[in-house]
Amino acid sequence: MFQLVSRITLAAICLLFSFHTFAQKPVLTIYTYDSFTSDWGPGPQVKTAFEKQCDCELKLVGLEDGVSLLSRLKLEGKNSRADLVLGIDTNLTADARATGLFEEHGLSAGNTTLSERWNDDLFLPYDYGYFAFVYNQELLSNPPTSLKQLVEDADAPKILIQDPRTSTPGLGLMLWVKKVYGDKAAEAWQKLAPRIVTVSKGWSEAYGLFLKGEAPMVLSYTTSPAYHLIAEEDQRFAAAEFSEGHYQQIEVAGLIASSEQKPLARKFLSFMMSETFQRIIPTTNWMYPAALDASKLPEGFNTLIKPANALLFSDEDVARNRKRWVNEWLEALAQ
Amino acid sequence: MKQRSAISAYPVLAILALLVLVPMLSLVTISGSAGDDSAFWQSTYLRRVVSFSLWQAFLSTLLSVGFALIVARAFFQLGEFPFRNLLLRLFGIPLVVPAVVAVLGVVTVYGSQGWMPLGRDLYGLNGILLAHLFFNLPLAVRLLLPAWLSIPRQHWQLGEQLRFNQWQKWKHLEWPALAENLPGVILLIFMLCLTSFAVVLTLGGGPKSTTLEVAIYQSLRFDFDPARAVILALLQFSLCVLVALLSLRFQKLPEVEITQSTQVIAQRDKSRWLNASIVITAAIFVIMPMLAMFMDAFSGPILSVLGKSDLWQSAAYSLIIGLSAAALSVSAAWLLLRTSSDLAFANKKRAASTIELAGQVVYVVPPLVIGTGLFVLIAPRFDVFDWAIPIVILINAMMALPFAIRTLGPPMRQNKARYQRLCQSLDISGWHRFRIVDWPILRKPVGLATALATALAMGDLGVIALFGTPETTTLPLYLYHQLGAYLMSEAAVTAAFLLCFCLSVFWLLEKLIGGHSDVTY
Repeated sequence: MFQLVSRITLAAICLLFSFHTFAQKPVLTIYTYDSFTSDWGPGPQVKTAFEKQCDCELKLVGLEDGVSLLSRLKLEGKNSRADLVLGIDTNLTADARATGLFEEHGLSAGNTTLSERWNDDLFLPYDYGYFAFVYNQELLSNPPTSLKQLVEDADAPKILIQDPRTSTPGLGLMLWVKKVYGDKAAEAWQKLAPRIVTVSKGWSEAYGLFLKGEAPMVLSYTTSPAYHLIAEEDQRFAAAEFSEGHYQQIEVAGLIASSEQKPLARKFLSFMMSETFQRIIPTTNWMYPAALDASKLPEGFNTLIKPANALLFSDEDVARNRKRWVNEWLEALAQ
Repeated sequence: MKQRSAISAYPVLAILALLVLVPMLSLVTISGSAGDDSAFWQSTYLRRVVSFSLWQAFLSTLLSVGFALIVARAFFQLGEFPFRNLLLRLFGIPLVVPAVVAVLGVVTVYGSQGWMPLGRDLYGLNGILLAHLFFNLPLAVRLLLPAWLSIPRQHWQLGEQLRFNQWQKWKHLEWPALAENLPGVILLIFMLCLTSFAVVLTLGGGPKSTTLEVAIYQSLRFDFDPARAVILALLQFSLCVLVALLSLRFQKLPEVEITQSTQVIAQRDKSRWLNASIVITAAIFVIMPMLAMFMDAFSGPILSVLGKSDLWQSAAYSLIIGLSAAALSVSAAWLLLRTSSDLAFANKKRAASTIELAGQVVYVVPPLVIGTGLFVLIAPRFDVFDWAIPIVILINAMMALPFAIRTLGPPMRQNKARYQRLCQSLDISGWHRFRIVDWPILRKPVGLATALATALAMGDLGVIALFGTPETTTLPLYLYHQLGAYLMSEAAVTAAFLLCFCLSVFWLLEKLIGGHSDVTY
């Protein structure tokens, strides 16, 4: 009995060490969010495609969301095991920059298809999207056509939203309202309050409640209907186009200064901007690729609304004001 | 003969204290520049959050325990009836359901398109209380029922001879048996409701319904202010200690000495129909949201979800985590309870209860705080990915500890009360005593505690996402990934699978460890 146990232990120890010692290929470690690494996300395809051309091992570490990526980096500081971070958005880049943990990517971002020219030395965008209210066309025939109508029309449909304290879309909506209403944002929230069915912790809860029929509209992305159309062949869902424009979310990647695999990491960044990577994004991350010509988007994406106006605060503005604006939101809704 | 009580509880308590304090300290040290936070601590926001947390937890506990007393009594008075054991086993399940799934289940039943629509009234305190009742009523029934079963048959016979009415039976027979356990059960349920997060936020209808747990999450995540998170966690902790102390004060110590083993006796009287309808109502209330989850699953892509090897792999990881956490948790509970039952036997009942409550209150320290704190300690020195699973197991074991204490505590004390003198006079001790006396009697509650702890750890999302271990997914995390990828119907199948998996593991462990017996606690 003892012999058996000791043999198994020995075998286990050998196995454990074999991973560390005998891995000949260089390992590139990327911290990202877990919907990127999950089976249904871009992760598996990205890993295969990149490993084919890099002669390395790509290690994708999936954390909860963009916010936890940043706090993970702050916790690890200079000892971070990450070579790259992929998945923080432009609401967080100022904070990320302030950590001093990132290094310039040194690549040109000339081929991006974003509405604004991209000139950030630390971060490169890989995809983007617009927040929008999604509805079922069979159940709602005349959705509001502007944020103002949604807020001010007492007969406008009821909505499900997420909490800006815990969720990225929730923060997006708060910034959207701020962008449109400025100093009058608090009053706008108070007007909207009676039509907010509930404010959920994350996207999944609100979207799940929406599919259960708890409210005719839910805060999500303009690309959400593409999922139903392409993956489920369900044409009922659409995003309501608002005349003021839609708040934008741009997701970026950045190089960690303490990385020992910088050439490889830069190689990944240029792979990220290449067509192979960009073509994986639309039907796995359900966002717009940041550097792919619109004509190369999969079928179904052409049916989506394309906001005329992309609304976006600068990352410094968000970093400076976020706490204050969240408190304003809280005060407005907690009365 | 004066006997010294076992000291096994003290090392366990010391380890628990270290596991709570060291991560907190490490978080405070990395906070660096403490900004001016005085505005926050004096804000109406914080006051509102604290008072709302307490208020909803108080109401939820009151309702859960209040109804549970009625339902458990009805269960007891009905005695044996068809499906009794199955029903009680189902009552162990709601706690395992991940919060998002439970919310969707509750909404399927009571939502605006639901079976019994409450309309918009669902969102707000109503929804929170409904969901908390769904989680905690069945748990409280399971924890309280053994108290009734421990009342000796002779007492009932005596009660009959004295022609006790219902009220007198309650006052003289039932209440004394309950009083010893009630504070612990109340504290446990209170802690569960106080730390509720996703349920409160989603069904609460808006930021009016914010609990301290939300504020802690916000401080640690969006605001990255670890020091504030630690202070908020300490605040939550002290609130619970306060409740624990209060519940101790109100604890009426029973004077009854339990002498004889008992068996279930049905109270055949006119209230049988009343009791049956109480049990049926409770069963419907608990089963409906679960039924809703299964109906969602049946309309989902069952085969394609179950055909994925990843599902089974994450199920295996969850099982390993669950079993290890349960082993750790039940052992710790055993060591704590050895001391407390010795103390109780020596008539130091207050000291005994204090030890048990101390073991329980660790539950309110948010796993996110402990996990992040441990991460800070480990990350600079070791490869965090190697440590993720042990830490997840450790934290899950801590979170399961109060459940283990609550299920094991009462039988261990009774066992001590019944056999301590006999064992002393026959000079049976140590391993012999464990094998001949303790184990045959206690294997059933040990089985229940292990089953409960395993199921809890298996259903808990926990802190695994904090580490982001590549290639290791637990079942709840796998479920959340599906939910995050628009795969709501796949997630429904996974949720049903998770429930069935937990139920089978629960059943298997109870049978394997608990052995055969006709009474289900």
